[in-house]
Amino acid sequence: MVEPSDAVIVGAAESPYSRHPPEGVTTESLLADAFVRVLASSGISREEVDGLGVASFTLAPDRAIDLAWKLGIRPRWLMDDGNGGASGIQLLQHAMRAIDAGDATTIVLLSGDHFDSAAFRVLVDTYNRTTAQYLAGIPTGGPNVLFAMLTRQQMDTHGLEREDYGRLVVAQRRWAGLNPGAVYRAPLTLEEYLAAPVVAEPLHRLDCVPVVSGADALVVTAAGQGGVGIRALRGLHNHDGQEGDGLRTGIAELARGLWEDAGAGPEDVDIVSVYDDYPAMALAQLADLGFASDGDLRAFLRRRIEEERLPVNTSGGQLSVGQAGAAGGMIGLVESVAQLLGQAGERQVEDARLAVVTGYGMVLYRYGACANAVVLERR
Amino acid sequence: MSLRVFVCEACGRAVFPRRLLCPDCGGTEWRREPVDGGVLEAGTERDGVRVGAVRTPLGPLVITRIESESRPGTDVPLGEDGDVPVSRAT
Repeated sequence: MVEPSDAVIVGAAESPYSRHPPEGVTTESLLADAFVRVLASSGISREEVDGLGVASFTLAPDRAIDLAWKLGIRPRWLMDDGNGGASGIQLLQHAMRAIDAGDATTIVLLSGDHFDSAAFRVLVDTYNRTTAQYLAGIPTGGPNVLFAMLTRQQMDTHGLEREDYGRLVVAQRRWAGLNPGAVYRAPLTLEEYLAAPVVAEPLHRLDCVPVVSGADALVVTAAGQGGVGIRALRGLHNHDGQEGDGLRTGIAELARGLWEDAGAGPEDVDIVSVYDDYPAMALAQLADLGFASDGDLRAFLRRRIEEERLPVNTSGGQLSVGQAGAAGGMIGLVESVAQLLGQAGERQVEDARLAVVTGYGMVLYRYGACANAVVLERR
Repeated sequence: MSLRVFVCEACGRAVFPRRLLCPDCGGTEWRREPVDGGVLEAGTERDGVRVGAVRTPLGPLVITRIESESRPGTDVPLGEDGDVPVSRAT
């Protein structure tokens, strides 16, 4: 049992994602916009903010303190987190304890990135020292080839076809059609999904997240009226030293404790947000959380996702909304909080009370090494 | 030319790429040990470059450029191009 937290999330906001942002947009301008929006949405004044956490690949050489100065706040608690797809839940894990301990009372968490195509190429080739030294020279040209091989392996193990992944991608696009902030909103058919140009077999274009610029934000405070509570939160990073099959994430090992702490199971949640850098990894995390308890991933995609429309990645997810760098680690939290606060507009899931959100990422050599998950509840 | 994987001087555990501490025993000294090839476990192609995952006989699974038409499940050679693994056509 991990000690529960009394902290609550009282606001979630997004600076609109964009494939080609207007001239003058920078990483810090996107983060500032998300900051202003999240304060407005939660009715909190800038003067009340005494904690700031930031995740970004492109904010460098600036850090959280540079941002604090330029935003005009005086934090008692300050944190940078560079762990990509796990950074949102990572920041939340630290922020809720800071609130519990009294280190801060009102923490804003920000994540976001602005890329031009040159900046993105540099990021993928110098993602870490191992990539720069052993992969960039192949050239792998980024993680697509690695996840192509993992996807093929998952297809072979579970008897999946491309169209099975397509069911998840099409379902997420259906949600994106209800999200004015999604970059890709046009309805997508399974036929269109299958016809997309190949990237690296078996991955085609609609299996790979579009790179966008944007930012996300959350406000975490001490318990008061309402908000979204954190029932359980667990992380497990580098669970297998990059020596496993890559399709069983650290979430598989933390799930049991997570659900025990939450006093709930997969069948109890109304909203699911999994880190969807690729459909195969979204599926792996759903399986690791216990959503396909009989192990039949094919039937899960057909029945639960396609027919029963289980609310997975209800913003449209990164596959339709886009991946704004480190913001990919917060997009699921922001969407789930919006749903639990009843602020999800047209895509609002009726009476959403309980949500599970995962983080995953940081490809060290063969696949993502970071994994975490949180169960959130409407208060 | 072979690929040189890293073997822990203390316990003999092989890794690729090199770690700071041996995952098994915590040792910090590594020797390089050559492997001439392995089994291609998976492969794909992007922009005309074939990439594969090759299981070496010492254990580590290595991501490498594949310069042959080899299919998964077959034996392929392994070598180095600087630090970068490469499986050249035989």
